[in-house]
Amino acid sequence: MRRFDLVLPNTVEDCLKILAERGAQAKLVAGGTDLLPQMKNGVLKPAVVVDLSGIARVRQVQNGNGLRIGAAVTARELEVSPALRGPYAAIAESAALVGSLQVRNLATVGGNLCNAAPSADMAPPLVALEAQAVIAGPKGERRVPMADFFTGVRQTVLAPNELLVELIVPPPVANCGGQYLRHTPRRELDIAVVGVASQLTVAGGRCTKARIALASVAPTPVRATAAERSLEGQAVTPEAIERAAALAIEAARPIHDQRGSIEFRKHLVRVLTRRTLTTALARASA
Amino acid sequence: MAKHVLRCTINDQPVEVLVQPYTTLLDALREDVGLTGPKEGCGTGDCGACTVHVDGKVVASCLMLAMQARDRNVRTIEGLAAADTTLHPLQDAFVRRGVPQCGFCIPGVLMAAAALLEETPRPSEEQIRYGIAGNLCRCTGYTKMVEAISEAAGTLASQRSAR
Amino acid sequence: MSTMKTTRDVKGVGVSIPRPDGPEKVTGRVQYVADIQPKGLLHAKLLRSPHAHAKIVSIDTSAAKALPGVRAVVTAKDIPHLKKKAPTRAHAVLAIDRAVFMGQPVAAVAADEVAIAEEALDLIKVEYQVLPAAVDPLKAMQPGAPPVADAGTEADTSEALAHSAVAIAKSEAPAKAVNISQQARLQRGDPAKGFAESDHVLEKTYRVPMVHQGYLEPHAVLAEWDRNGLLTLWASTQGSFNTRSEVADVLGIPENQIRVIPVECGGGFGGKIRALCEPITAVLAQVTKRPVRYVMTRREELQAGMPAPQVIIKLKTGVKRDGTLMAVDAETVIDSGAYSGAVLAVSAVFIGSMYKWPSFDIRGFEVLTHKPSVAAYRAPVAPQTIFAIESHMEQIARDLGLDPVEFRRRHLIKPGDPMVNGQPWQSNGAHEVLSRIAEHPHWKTRKEWVAAGKNGKRRGVGLALGGWLGGLQPTGATVRLNPDGSLAVLTGQVDIAGTNISLAQIAASAYGVDTDLVRITTGDTDTAPVTGLSAGSKTIYTVGAAVLQAAEDARRQTFEIAAAELEASVHDLELVDGKVTVRGMPDKGITLATIGKKGNLYMSKTPPVLGKANPAFSQQAPGFAAQLARLDVDPDTGEVTIHDFVIVQDVGKAINPLGVEGQMQGGAVQSLGIALTEALMFDDSGRLTNPSLLDYRKLTAADLPNLETIIVEVPSPAGPFGARGVGEPPIVPAPAAIANAVNDAVGARITELPISPERIALALANGMH
Repeated sequence: MRRFDLVLPNTVEDCLKILAERGAQAKLVAGGTDLLPQMKNGVLKPAVVVDLSGIARVRQVQNGNGLRIGAAVTARELEVSPALRGPYAAIAESAALVGSLQVRNLATVGGNLCNAAPSADMAPPLVALEAQAVIAGPKGERRVPMADFFTGVRQTVLAPNELLVELIVPPPVANCGGQYLRHTPRRELDIAVVGVASQLTVAGGRCTKARIALASVAPTPVRATAAERSLEGQAVTPEAIERAAALAIEAARPIHDQRGSIEFRKHLVRVLTRRTLTTALARASA
Repeated sequence: MAKHVLRCTINDQPVEVLVQPYTTLLDALREDVGLTGPKEGCGTGDCGACTVHVDGKVVASCLMLAMQARDRNVRTIEGLAAADTTLHPLQDAFVRRGVPQCGFCIPGVLMAAAALLEETPRPSEEQIRYGIAGNLCRCTGYTKMVEAISEAAGTLASQRSAR
Repeated sequence: MSTMKTTRDVKGVGVSIPRPDGPEKVTGRVQYVADIQPKGLLHAKLLRSPHAHAKIVSIDTSAAKALPGVRAVVTAKDIPHLKKKAPTRAHAVLAIDRAVFMGQPVAAVAADEVAIAEEALDLIKVEYQVLPAAVDPLKAMQPGAPPVADAGTEADTSEALAHSAVAIAKSEAPAKAVNISQQARLQRGDPAKGFAESDHVLEKTYRVPMVHQGYLEPHAVLAEWDRNGLLTLWASTQGSFNTRSEVADVLGIPENQIRVIPVECGGGFGGKIRALCEPITAVLAQVTKRPVRYVMTRREELQAGMPAPQVIIKLKTGVKRDGTLMAVDAETVIDSGAYSGAVLAVSAVFIGSMYKWPSFDIRGFEVLTHKPSVAAYRAPVAPQTIFAIESHMEQIARDLGLDPVEFRRRHLIKPGDPMVNGQPWQSNGAHEVLSRIAEHPHWKTRKEWVAAGKNGKRRGVGLALGGWLGGLQPTGATVRLNPDGSLAVLTGQVDIAGTNISLAQIAASAYGVDTDLVRITTGDTDTAPVTGLSAGSKTIYTVGAAVLQAAEDARRQTFEIAAAELEASVHDLELVDGKVTVRGMPDKGITLATIGKKGNLYMSKTPPVLGKANPAFSQQAPGFAAQLARLDVDPDTGEVTIHDFVIVQDVGKAINPLGVEGQMQGGAVQSLGIALTEALMFDDSGRLTNPSLLDYRKLTAADLPNLETIIVEVPSPAGPFGARGVGEPPIVPAPAAIANAVNDAVGARITELPISPERIALALANGMH
């Protein structure tokens, strides 16, 4: 890594002051699991790094009327959090898949989202659960729905003088269940070739709400809206699931890269959508 | 560029050392504190050779900035064995079962295994394998490691019940 | 040469003794090159070409040199005395006027800190003129392809000779295509007639990408010159004498001006034999007059290391309906990267020599491309070749409805049968190994196991047989009796596989004391007898023989001294529990300690016992291994789960069974990585698209089951206590075993490695089953 200055704020306010002055040349670090590799590869060469590990507010998980997840909560903390059960299980599942345990004890949900790689595992479940990002800036705080948070490959709505402070997940409704699955060649230390989060709410034998979010098949996480519409209002039969799985491919615009071909990614979208919908239904009905 | 003062506990000893702001925890341990047990195998968190404990949790020390360890409790392989013993039961089992070959991955594997056994005192084979899945080894094929960790789990459990 | 078939009644050969360096390793006390912190240390970094093929028009280092903390910036212009046509990659210390692979070093920096050195690299301005690159070997071997080598460079066969001692006839046809750097052809009989008379003709192309040896410790070297012009290199190397020779040749200085100290090596597997970073680090140390250390990053290792070659084998066989072999025609293309040096001979030999083909036409080509040049990787080219022939033999058996083991057994070579180059097969355990694996319950109950598959997963069982011919290299060793009656053994052999404890056991058994009384010292190039590479599965076979002979020599000297002291004949003496006594008269004796002390006393007439041996070798000892996999496949995602894996290996004599098991398991997992997940993936411009361990996938503990090891012992005629080399055979069979098991599970025959989930899933989705 090239040399840089390091700043260690203790509060969100202190952090915003630093970003106001030097945001354009600064990078925020929490877990460092995406930032440091990019700095070591010379992709990023910030003159200043701002360490968030001393700011208490961004490190808590609160379960009250819905969930509030601090941006610097680690993947491991989410993996084992008792708050992430029931309808929120897909968040824990996605966190459990990041890297290895040595990485999950450092990696944060905020970092995963702000780094905004197309393969970010923690994005699809938060999109499917219709979470909101709480962003602090010089004019106060604003909220952005997760589905609108990502604007391109490694690009988000965050301005250089802003800081993601927490995520708000709406309170659960009855008979809601979801799952996140991804395909990787290895069981650990890997990155999603394709990831799918499905979230289903059922009532009276029919699906009242379906949300399906895909990772690694577009520049940003995307919702498979045609697949979602095909399920809403219908009985969730195996045929309906199969139809939705086929429609989910329409939302995918994958590229060919060293992790997978276009053909394989489309194939996996169908397979993983089918599987996550099947599990989401079982969990919603339990 | 001014150095920072890093104050933390390392292997049960209070430490105060000057570090460059851009130094990783791994490099600070190896070059500023003189603990060369943790190794750099990849520098990007993909191999586990740099595994140390921070506040009891395994982390990839190549991905932490040294200053992120301020006021925290760090343990390296050099601090695994208790002060009054030569070898921790894990280390002893590894030696007797012929686990280390080139040895480069071993400090990281032992730290991962030690944390696993703290959290899961009687792990199944699958739990052991997942417990060290963040540690790549190119020499051994992992089988003897898993057997040694299983044996050490038994040793530690009977040591606990003997107290 | 004595081979000592029986061990004396001591704790020696055949006992599972843990390595004595275990405690140092588990406490993190062992020092690797990057752990050595000399005073005044400078850190080296290399600027590397971003283009696979480009002319270097100009380099401006002025801004880099001006950065505070930078102590030297060097380009090829600064080392004109080294400027010559680069016969090997090591000679191309820094690219002179042309870069021939992406990642080739173009400039070098030494600085006070690594971070400053990296910033200095950013400040070096290089002007390139990009040239067309030859990346695909099949295209590169065509006339008119962009040329890789400087005109007139000889193909480099030094590595081939070190590894396998296989002789092969050079092809007569002159190379018209500029990038064909080696070629060979082997023929016997009339294959065209054989094919015409065949009932079953099978033709397939097998492809294996470049893979990296994957050692956890990247290349590392520390260089320092003293004021007499003596260069010391602390190196992570598999052969200190080889490193010394190469560096001396590259730098143009005499070998005795260089001392190479082999530091604990964090894995080599063939990738740390050839010089790579040592010459440029030595140059920086010379220019700065300070110790300079260079440690490669993982990214540099993957982009610009010395990987195993890409291998493409077109294989065509002709067989009769009853399984009689008629003919084989094969063309092997080995992509060696930018410099020649692949072990072409081995592939050609293995294709036709495992089974008895009455006629064959086997052609081999080494092709240069604009990619990092290759070096050995544990049984170089054998896993790739056996992948082809063992997949093929399995498919023939299935197509003809023949039992896969019986079909192999019927045609498998026996000792004395001719190899394709006419050499007779030496004594080997191929049949014993095949029989042993066929007896395994996993093989016998395979149909029932497969039928019990559930949850939509499809089960398969497959096996394959492979091996390694065994390398040879002269060596030396000394055995010294200490004044306390213990033994000191000195070799120059780098211990990368745990061989030191086995050498101690050999010395113990040959001399007549317990292994606890024997300590092995690995000397450096100043202090040790000349020795060869720790490679080629030859350490125990050759250095073990030298240690055995030196220990016998020491025993002889000991007995002569004792005989004089005891006024008895040497033939009446025996050595028991550290004392040399007259047989039948236990009170008439002299301890080893007494003999040892007498050899070191002022004015003593007793010489110190110093046993010595310096043999050369001519007889190889092939080692065979068979591997079996029980796995299941998720037909939708293509994911493979290995439930069980068995390795059967003929080791001749397991000097240290604990160490042998470790070699079998480690080699098998490297083999499984080649089979399932590993590939260096280059795009059309010669750029590596997966330069990190995230995307260059080595198997983790969670991907594998326990590996079962079964040791078979068919003694070698010339190895110490009948031992054979054990390091390389276990990396050979798994790709074919996995391909066969996957075929058994889903009916798809995958002929390109790695057998990834994508390849399986798409094969099934597209109807290949």
